[in-house]
Parts: sequence; C-alpha cells; structure tokens
Amino acid sequence: MKILAIEASGPVAGCALLEDGTLTAEYSVQYKKKHSQSLVPMLNEMKEMLDLDLSSIDFIAVTAGPGSFTGLRIGAATVKGLGLALDKPVLPVPTVDSLACGLYGTDCVICPLMDARRQQVYTGIYENKDGLRILEPQCVTALTEITGKLNELGREVIFLGDGVPVNEEALRDEMKVPYLIAPAHLNRQRAASTAVRAAQIYAEKGEEALVSADDFRPEYLRVPQAERERGDKRNYKVFV
Amino acid sequence: MRALCVQRSCLFYNFNCEIMDIMNRTKIVFETYSTEETAKIAFQMAADAAAGQVFALIGDLGVGKTVFTKGFAEGLGIDEPVSSPTFTILQIYEEGRLPLYHFDVYRIEEPEEMEEVGFDEYVYGDGVCLIEWANRIEEILPDDTIYVVIEKDLGKGLDYRKITVVRPGEGS
Repeated sequence: MKILAIEASGPVAGCALLEDGTLTAEYSVQYKKKHSQSLVPMLNEMKEMLDLDLSSIDFIAVTAGPGSFTGLRIGAATVKGLGLALDKPVLPVPTVDSLACGLYGTDCVICPLMDARRQQVYTGIYENKDGLRILEPQCVTALTEITGKLNELGREVIFLGDGVPVNEEALRDEMKVPYLIAPAHLNRQRAASTAVRAAQIYAEKGEEALVSADDFRPEYLRVPQAERERGDKRNYKVFV
Repeated sequence: MRALCVQRSCLFYNFNCEIMDIMNRTKIVFETYSTEETAKIAFQMAADAAAGQVFALIGDLGVGKTVFTKGFAEGLGIDEPVSSPTFTILQIYEEGRLPLYHFDVYRIEEPEEMEEVGFDEYVYGDGVCLIEWANRIEEILPDDTIYVVIEKDLGKGLDYRKITVVRPGEGS
C-alpha cells in the first residue's frame, strides 16, 4: 500500500510517502513562504528523490480541516489536481486527529490546540497509547471550554500545535491538572502523521474512507460569524 | 487648511487638524482641498503604519477612496499600479515595506462571506489591511481597527474633503 500525504492545513507545508508501513520520505517546512509556492516544488523533489512513479500510489491523504482557509484551499487544490490527473482517490484526514497521532505510547491525554484566532482554538481530546482513541472529536471552541473538559478528566495532558504559544498564559491560568507541552519536533502538523493516520483509517473503513478528487472538499469547522460575535455592535458613526 | 471646533488644534502630517479623545479612541479631523492633499495624508499614514494594522476606509462613491488608496500604497513603497478589488474582493501587494492587503467589500452582502476569502488570516496577519466600504462588514473588524471616514461638503467646494481618522487609544 502506497500512500502519498499532503500537509498544508497550518503553518507547516509538507508531503510524505508511506509505503507498506515504511515512511520512505517526509518533507516539511515551516516558513513564511506561502504553501502555494512551496508545496509543489517539495513534492517534485520528493518524487525525484524516491524515483517515484506517481501512478503507483493507491491514494492521496490530506489534512482536510480544520485549519487556515488559504492553507486548506491550497492543500485541497493540490490534492484534487493530482488526483484528477492520476485518477486516484483522496483520503481526507481530520487535521486535529492527525496532530494527535504525532504522539504515541503515552498515558497522558493528548490535546492539540490550533490557533483559530478571535480567542478560539481548533481542538480535540485523544488517547494514543497503542492506537488513536478519540475522547472529544475535533471542534472549534473557546480555550476555557477545552480546559474545563480536561480539568474534569483529571489526567495529565500533553498539548501541541500552533495554538499553544498564543494561549500559554491562559493555559497557566486555566489548567488545574498537570500538563506538558510537546517539544518542537512533535509539536506541529506532519505529513508523516497524516499518512499514518490515513493508513489506520483505511484499515478500519476501507473504500468508504475514500472520496473522488472531484468531490473532495475541505472542512472548515467554522462557527457562523453571527453566532460568534457577542458584546457591543460597533458603529463607526458614533465617532464621526 | 482650517480648524473645526473640537478639543485641541495641532499640526499632524503638516496639516492643521483637530484632535479629540473620545471613548478610548483618538479622533483626528483633517480638511483637504485637493486630491493631492488627500493623497498626502494617506501617504503619511501608510509610512507610519505598523504590521498588523487594519484601516477601514469609509465613504460614498466618488468621495476619494481610490485617491486615498493610491496615496496609501505609495506610502508603503508600492510602485505597482493599484487596481480596484471591487470584483476580486482582495488584492495583495507584496513589494512594499509591508504586505498590503487591499480589500473592497462593496459586493459583500453578509460578513460571513468574508470567511471564504480567509479574512482573519489577513486582518490578524503581519501586513497592513486597507478595507474599502468596511462599514459593510463592521461586525467582523478587529477591535483596534483604524477608521478613515471621508466626507464631502459641497458648501465648502467640490474638492473639499473632511477626513476623520479614529484610532484606538488616547493622546495620539
């Protein structure tokens, strides 16, 4: 089974190839260059490095959301383009699940935090001792909501994701249970995690997990703005 | 350049203007009598702009938003001609001192539509946003948005413009 994975949902641009349980390549860049500029050259380099015949892959895995709008769109466009050209299907992987997969063999509860701005995070609660277990499926919510749930669970937590630095102080204030923050090499999205998670999903659900390149759409998970806005409705005319 | 009767007069960008602290914000009122003067103010504001700032440019058709925008782009060191994003919603200019994210939301009916454009990533990003017709999406503008409201007063001449700038914070 040959799985090509693409990562563009957040600050990391990446691609990886998982071949019969071996990660033959993983490329990853977290730099200000836009994913639209880095993804395809990266893929091309990987292809050259591996002497890869793209038509030999079984499907293309991609973190399908949530994440940054532009990132998700770039990932989706890349994957759809490839899928259409190669006539291969797509296996969408929930972003937060993929993040959680980056940690393994721990008794801690795993809580990825992705910055959703406006004081919100994309998050979820997982276990990954010897297989991913979803305790709280991925969602978009205020940080205090998720810390509330973690405090209730009463277990040690590992946090990871680009939502951690932005919320570091709030975590210190809100968390009543002990917690760790994953180190840099385990702290962000990885195409390798996406590939591995995709293999797990495929093992579980088979063809049902696949979607045609044509039909694939990112999943943004945004709460409608009207619900999000609370408090004073601004009116510039007050000042003018 | 003339003074209006508000809190204190001063010289800002070499224009006489009135400054008033109001509701945790600073309001500066300029009066200009030509497109060049309007562009000059825009140029200065851009030259002083910091990464992450959002400018809401509000005014009716024909009031000079384009004049302002062009002056603003020049102030950031952007030589490329600035075209109207009325249809594209967003136009990005990267060659200036800071990236310029130039929005025109005239065609937007619901603020929710702005999500499709990835609005948050620009408005909470590292460039400068200039949003024409920002009053149409006021609910989703960041709290520290700087408002620039341009108005005509035909009694004071065809080329007269009153430019009200409202910035967060006091004592500008």
